[in-house]
Amino acid sequence: MNKKNYLEEISRLKKPFIIYKSIKGFNLYTDFSKKIVLTNKNIKDFVKKINLTKFKIKQTDLFIGFFGYEILNNLIGIKIKKQRSLNFPKGIFYKPETIIKLSNNLNYKPKRSIKYNKFFKINLNKKSYSDIFAKFKKKIRSGETYQIKICTKYKNNSKIDPLDFFCRLSKTNLAPEAFMIKDKNYSIVSCSPENLINKRGLKITTKPIAGTLKKNKKINKKKALSFFQKNIKETKEHNMIVDMERSDLSKICIPGSVKILKKKIVEEYKDLYHYVSLIGGIIKKNIKTIDIIKAMMPGGSVIGCPKISTLNLLNNQERENRNIYTGSFGYIKFNGDMKFNIIIRSLLNYKNNSEIAVASGVVVDSNPTNEFNENFIKAKAIIDLFQ
Amino acid sequence: MIYIIDHKDSFTHNVVHQFSNFDDVQCDDYNQVNQTLLNKANVIVLSPGPGNPKDYPITSNIYNHYKGKIKIIGICLGFQQILYCEKGRIIQQNKIYHGYQSNIKVISNNSLFKKGKNFRVGRYHSLKLKEPFRAKNFEITMRCVETNVAMTIENNIDKIYGFQFHPESFLTINGNLLIKKILST
Repeated sequence: MNKKNYLEEISRLKKPFIIYKSIKGFNLYTDFSKKIVLTNKNIKDFVKKINLTKFKIKQTDLFIGFFGYEILNNLIGIKIKKQRSLNFPKGIFYKPETIIKLSNNLNYKPKRSIKYNKFFKINLNKKSYSDIFAKFKKKIRSGETYQIKICTKYKNNSKIDPLDFFCRLSKTNLAPEAFMIKDKNYSIVSCSPENLINKRGLKITTKPIAGTLKKNKKINKKKALSFFQKNIKETKEHNMIVDMERSDLSKICIPGSVKILKKKIVEEYKDLYHYVSLIGGIIKKNIKTIDIIKAMMPGGSVIGCPKISTLNLLNNQERENRNIYTGSFGYIKFNGDMKFNIIIRSLLNYKNNSEIAVASGVVVDSNPTNEFNENFIKAKAIIDLFQ
Repeated sequence: MIYIIDHKDSFTHNVVHQFSNFDDVQCDDYNQVNQTLLNKANVIVLSPGPGNPKDYPITSNIYNHYKGKIKIIGICLGFQQILYCEKGRIIQQNKIYHGYQSNIKVISNNSLFKKGKNFRVGRYHSLKLKEPFRAKNFEITMRCVETNVAMTIENNIDKIYGFQFHPESFLTINGNLLIKKILST
């Protein structure tokens, strides 16, 4: 198949495929020989069986897919009460037989131009948001949580062409953890900037984001850094996440090996700047893939701190299933190497329902109007695709 | 062996790694403590955690049972747990410190650390000790330079030590030194 029109070709063939950002461009995974829909019953067995070999592996010797939020909670012993739900699977993984390397420049024109429904409903209005905000602030005062992230969803009914969305999104916003999945009855389009696990051999790193600044003409990267450094609220939020991720890594790493490799740097994206750190360690002997998943997921920076008590507070509050949001997408190779992101800045389209979930943090000195607006900034890059 | 009792906190494993510099460490959830191992421990560490010491009666029982028999170190919630068991009152503070770096100072002649010495430390606490606080053999030995809030307690008779701040945080400079000194006494 000719590489140039490969995207048009794969769209025409209507077979499932996944695209995931690589260092130099993108990888396209297709010709799936296995598809595993995860349940609480099969997840441990599934993960255990991937780790088959220490020998040289082929490029396609991996499973790629996602863990949803709920199954990651269940995996660490946290139950979620019955919520409104689309009955979307808790996680799906695929075994690809073909991998195609693509450049950063994805070109694809849909055959027919589709008119998208650009009207969204929000599942929490500002009043309800502020009420929840006030409730959580009390929980911070009493010490039950130090930081908690309220999730809001933008939803509509719409048919979409996920490949068109993904290519347009990657033009304006080349996020380091971007991915898309297209399968028969669902698709996911994401410009996630956040890496949760990058494991090669015994080395593991995580790269939490805490701190967001909207871009404008007056602010360059250097000024953004100085903004974050001077802003006590952002600094404190970030410190907390760094200590939490150090602790999560320490569960599975050799004592003394956990180090902050990059401390509080700024990364630039289409609409915003992020405040980022890189933390790494060396994995202990006898640690299995499932231990790594349980130690790191769901990713702390998008939940709050401390993780367990904050997850319980969130799950008691939220009436609607998060589905993929704050879950993780990535791959596990047969030799145990793995890469996973945190699913944020993402669109889930399931049976023609689209949803974009976003969250921002409540700490003791944040205010509901700012955070409510920050949520919209975060969703905007994806909402704009419907224009 | 050092036995760390975890209050399901997201900083506990930093504590585990810090203490691993000095001895073997065993760490379990507060509601899954292994009694046999606990009896063999040289030091018990009460971890940080969410909420209020009164939410953890199991930990209070452990403290009361082992006080004076095994060295006990409390961090953040663990510090408050010690104070709570010693009839101190733990209250909400107006200004909340989460992810905050503060200067603290040794204020006592009876401390393991030199009076007047400053430390730069990381803090994560909503609650604090209500003062005045008095308990036999206990002394507040360090305070926040800015707010005067109690930051450490020492009981050198029963070998009980508590930090309101987090010696394991990356925000604390020379945290290992603090722990080393307390472990070696």
